[in-house]
Amino acid sequence: MSRVDGKKKIKLSAMAKREERWALLFVAAPAIGFLLFMAWPIIFAFLTSLTTWNGAKGFEGMINRFCGFDNYIKLFSDAKFWKTLLTTIIYLIGIPCGMILGLLFAMGMNRKIPGVRVLRTMYYVPVISSLVAVSILWAWVYNYDYGLLNVIIKALTGMHGPNWLGDEILIKVSMIIFMVWKGLGTSIILYLAGLQNIPRTYYEAAMVDGANGWQQFKNITLPLLSPVTFYILITSLIGGFQVFVEVQVMTTNGGIGYSAATIVYYLYEKAFESFQLGYASAIAIILAVIIFIITLINFVMQDKWVKTID
Amino acid sequence: MKKKLLSALLATVMTISLLSGCGSSEGTTEVSTESETAEAATEEKTESVGAQIEVKEESLTDVSVEGDYSDSDLTVFIFAQDHEKAVYQSLIDKFMKDTGANVTFEVTTSDEYAQKILAYKAADDMPDIFYVGPEAVASNVDDGYLLPLDDYVDAEVINNLWGSVGNAYRYDGKTAGTGEGSLYCLPKDFSTFAFAYNKDIFDEAGVAYPDPENPYTWDEFVEVCKQLTKDTDGDGEVDQWGTANALQWALDAFIYTNGGHFLNDDYTEVVIDGQQEFIDAFQFFADLTCKYGVTPTVEQDTALGGYQRWLDGQIGFYACGTWDVGAFMDKNTFPYEWGLCAWPVGKTGVSMTRNGSVGFAVSADTEYPDAAAALITLFSTDLEGQRVLSGETTGASLQIPNIMDYAKGDFKDRIADGTIPYGDNVDVIFNYIEGTDKYQGIFVETTYTYNADWWNAFLSGGYEYVLNGEMTAAEYCSQVQPAMQEALDTANEMKAAAAN
Repeated sequence: MSRVDGKKKIKLSAMAKREERWALLFVAAPAIGFLLFMAWPIIFAFLTSLTTWNGAKGFEGMINRFCGFDNYIKLFSDAKFWKTLLTTIIYLIGIPCGMILGLLFAMGMNRKIPGVRVLRTMYYVPVISSLVAVSILWAWVYNYDYGLLNVIIKALTGMHGPNWLGDEILIKVSMIIFMVWKGLGTSIILYLAGLQNIPRTYYEAAMVDGANGWQQFKNITLPLLSPVTFYILITSLIGGFQVFVEVQVMTTNGGIGYSAATIVYYLYEKAFESFQLGYASAIAIILAVIIFIITLINFVMQDKWVKTID
Repeated sequence: MKKKLLSALLATVMTISLLSGCGSSEGTTEVSTESETAEAATEEKTESVGAQIEVKEESLTDVSVEGDYSDSDLTVFIFAQDHEKAVYQSLIDKFMKDTGANVTFEVTTSDEYAQKILAYKAADDMPDIFYVGPEAVASNVDDGYLLPLDDYVDAEVINNLWGSVGNAYRYDGKTAGTGEGSLYCLPKDFSTFAFAYNKDIFDEAGVAYPDPENPYTWDEFVEVCKQLTKDTDGDGEVDQWGTANALQWALDAFIYTNGGHFLNDDYTEVVIDGQQEFIDAFQFFADLTCKYGVTPTVEQDTALGGYQRWLDGQIGFYACGTWDVGAFMDKNTFPYEWGLCAWPVGKTGVSMTRNGSVGFAVSADTEYPDAAAALITLFSTDLEGQRVLSGETTGASLQIPNIMDYAKGDFKDRIADGTIPYGDNVDVIFNYIEGTDKYQGIFVETTYTYNADWWNAFLSGGYEYVLNGEMTAAEYCSQVQPAMQEALDTANEMKAAAAN
């Protein structure tokens, strides 16, 4: 209903006015929060990225060190930037692996088998555990001499296992395995919820029509899980570009030859070890733009593959 | 169309949440300060020892501070372990009682200090007193944060500081640490990274102890290390090694004694590519691992670091910072007899190692410079405080006393009579601090550059390939120098921008 009818304003009742004021108050809380804690930091980060600010002398110190787009130009020829960006992208390989495994486990746990609740809880434990704690734990799993993995390899083959965190390729594999393990619980829970929302009648109808297990999975389960898949994909991609703690805790100096360092790790080093806040902000802005584009592509492409029951 | 708009909006919101997510994760993560880097390597153990130390409040009660600072309101922001905090808190209590000043004392961990001080700077609201390491004096002065102390601290106090640590906190606007210009900090401590040996391992191998008066040459050092490297349990694998020092702390001791250096004289160029003294020293350091096999391999070192192996009695020679002594004398931590000795000497014939320090600085913006200077003088040079920190009243030495007279007199006497437990040959420490014809402690080159990025570039270039023999030191130097130079150029640009 429009409040304006021609030039004449409809007079609201006292109660409606009161309600409107309350409504505005409720809307204001998140809006102010957004402006203060999200919009302003982003604008500030962008402004910082146009300077060579080292954190000194507050806002004035920042303005005095304006350098235009120099930081962005430097970034394009910065080998470490490209190296860490590539490593970050390589880590994203873990996302499809985690999704496939999550779906398989969720389907397994969607049956009425004894102890299924215990299993569900177990798989969710890594998600609620401290990232720093589990990173330390996995650094020990990968330990060259004393790690669980190499102890098993030695027991099975009699040979010493590889130096998981001391090789440029293996360190990436190790990080991916760890990240898949850490994220598995979330995928399982979401897929489980998705699976339980699919009406049984669809499968019954399919069975009447003579569809086998694979056909049911391909034509009913997968399409109807696609909104969940889409959600997991988007959140994992965003999380994937933010990987930092794992690298900080599990490696020294970003791993041998900086091979495990991610873009956020590099950003952090630039900001808090080199005090190049302007340069670090430029990295942050570029990272945000990359993620924005990827997320946008995903949203635009979702018409092609995301189905709903409706 | 509407749907696409919606997509764009959703994507924006998700990206924004990413940015705010970035912010929060940065806020909770830790970073070490440059000034405490070497100490950070072993700080975990020291912390556990520190926690056992109790400061007797009554031991500090005879401190008297002159002056009336009743209108002063100071904020002190430092990082400290529990025992240090207790010492400084007691001194603050006394200062407040004697002078009438009000002091707010804020303490953080060494890991979080750099971030928090950066936040203070960004907010342009500096505490009156805070820590600055020698490597950060120039940048802090250039940015206008530090008060020159010359007019506020008595000459007598300055004269009783160790010479080289006094120099490290002077800056003339061009190069820090040369001893020229104003004094900007009073030392919280002055440390050196000496060398230690496990006497039990020497006894077992039937090898004579090192003679501090005659440091080993590199060849002699290798020979001794070979005698100490063995398979002690007969399982066919070596489990005791001559030495095991992490490159990031120990390489200096080999480079500088061989006459090598990373940078040119005015700290504008990285000069390791083709520099024979540097390459020979780096190659020798690597050869200890890949050629002579007298250290754990790179793989073994990633499994368990040298420090832990030393504590487990697997290592003959290991670095010993002045802050390590308390831990090494604690039989629960290190149940072996040990002594101090010189790092082996290269071409120069002088044994060299890195010195370190953290200093108390006064903010240039403080409203109460006199009170702040009086308080840091108390922190740095109060005799009773120094007695606690150097171990006389606690039995665990965590630093060499800042007061030279006390260090050379009572402190040494208390070591001699056993009041302060210490490894053999404490003179090694004094030799490095004071410098002799055979010993020289130095501040490493990162002290004189705007930041340590060029050194980090050296560390992140894959030096492990030299240690495991896949690459020569010469090849590595040639490969990594451009990245180091780029980092140094950026640092010098930042310095120039700050100075303008």
